[in-house]
Amino acid sequence: MKTLYVDGSGFMHRLSARVKLALLAAASLALFLIQSPSVLGVGAIATGLLYASLRIGWRQSWLRLRVLFVTIAAVALFTLVFNSPVEAVSVFFRLSALALLASAVTATTTTGDFITEVTFAATPLEKLGLVKAADIGLSIGLVLRFIPEILLRHQAIRDAHIARGLRPKALSIIVPLIILTLKNADEIASAIDARAIRAQK
Amino acid sequence: MDIHFDKAEARFDGRVTLHPLTVRLTERRIGVIGLNGSGKTTFARMINGLVSPANGKVVVNGFDTKADTDRARSQVGFIFQNPQNQIILPILKEDIALGLTPRKLSKAEIEARTTAILARFGIGHLADRRSHELSGGELQLAAFASVLVTEPDILIMDEPTNQLDLKNRNLVARTISELPENVIVLTHDLDLIAGFDRVLLFDNGRLAGDGTASETIARYRELVA
Repeated sequence: MKTLYVDGSGFMHRLSARVKLALLAAASLALFLIQSPSVLGVGAIATGLLYASLRIGWRQSWLRLRVLFVTIAAVALFTLVFNSPVEAVSVFFRLSALALLASAVTATTTTGDFITEVTFAATPLEKLGLVKAADIGLSIGLVLRFIPEILLRHQAIRDAHIARGLRPKALSIIVPLIILTLKNADEIASAIDARAIRAQK
Repeated sequence: MDIHFDKAEARFDGRVTLHPLTVRLTERRIGVIGLNGSGKTTFARMINGLVSPANGKVVVNGFDTKADTDRARSQVGFIFQNPQNQIILPILKEDIALGLTPRKLSKAEIEARTTAILARFGIGHLADRRSHELSGGELQLAAFASVLVTEPDILIMDEPTNQLDLKNRNLVARTISELPENVIVLTHDLDLIAGFDRVLLFDNGRLAGDGTASETIARYRELVA
């Protein structure tokens, strides 16, 4: 199983997971309150520099961020067509800054720390009887666990097509990808049950 | 260890996967053999409560697996065929610690227990490694550690030497033979269970043999001949 976490000892790695997640939440809010494209542009450049400081490398960064940036470009294009160029630029900078910042937090925070902090954040809801905090933390951890796995599985199915001389098509990749992912999710769910991770003591 | 199957039957999609079975298991090392699809895995999953009996009951150390699933499950550690699916979090020490979270222990206690269990299996140096970086044998030892950190009374292993090369197979076999816990091993690797106290043979969802390792293995060889 691969992970989105990258080893390191820089500033972002040393910052506590709680502080990083609080800053990410605050920055997300601020990015949606700011309307000026130039300020948003500065924000995007700053988060880009922060991300670059992690020294993940161009290739790894491209692999991690390409889907996000294709989506952001599509949203910006949509805004350009249906709204205005200024709004399109704002959307592009805002979402880019957000994606880079969130990726930087994900790359410097282990899944275990995510689970701990999300569980902590959800504890007040548990006290109100609304949720089980540990389940929310575990769910977030599992999402993070599955992202690189799904990307790897996508690549494996693509390679299997090519190896058999078939042209990979979206539908012929998505169907086995969904089936394999669900099967894997079922096995992981069994492991969670078998290890009594959700058990109440 | 005291596992009691009392006319326990398992069904899947209306089909009987394990015919009514009555058996009591108290030996420390039990092997389970049989062809693929013979009911071995269903039998093992019923001990852990992953499969509930459609009829009858399974009682593990006094706890009914259907009525008292959590407590029955706390008695039984289960190691799946594919250890990759056993390891839930990417970094080994975090995954091991995850198994202790429902116990509401302090961070220091969790760290101490994690360190101790990794040391017990000689994989302390792998604590910060990601599971995809481990060899097959290391991964299997990591799976042992992830389960045994919660100190279950019984450890079930589903084909623990499957897909391992000879070196890793021998490493895992040696580790199993040295485990002080009660173990139930499902396997096609007959050498692995040759010295076990008792071996069960399944065939078409029924118990087809039950005795010493040599008797049951001989019966199995006859069956597939």
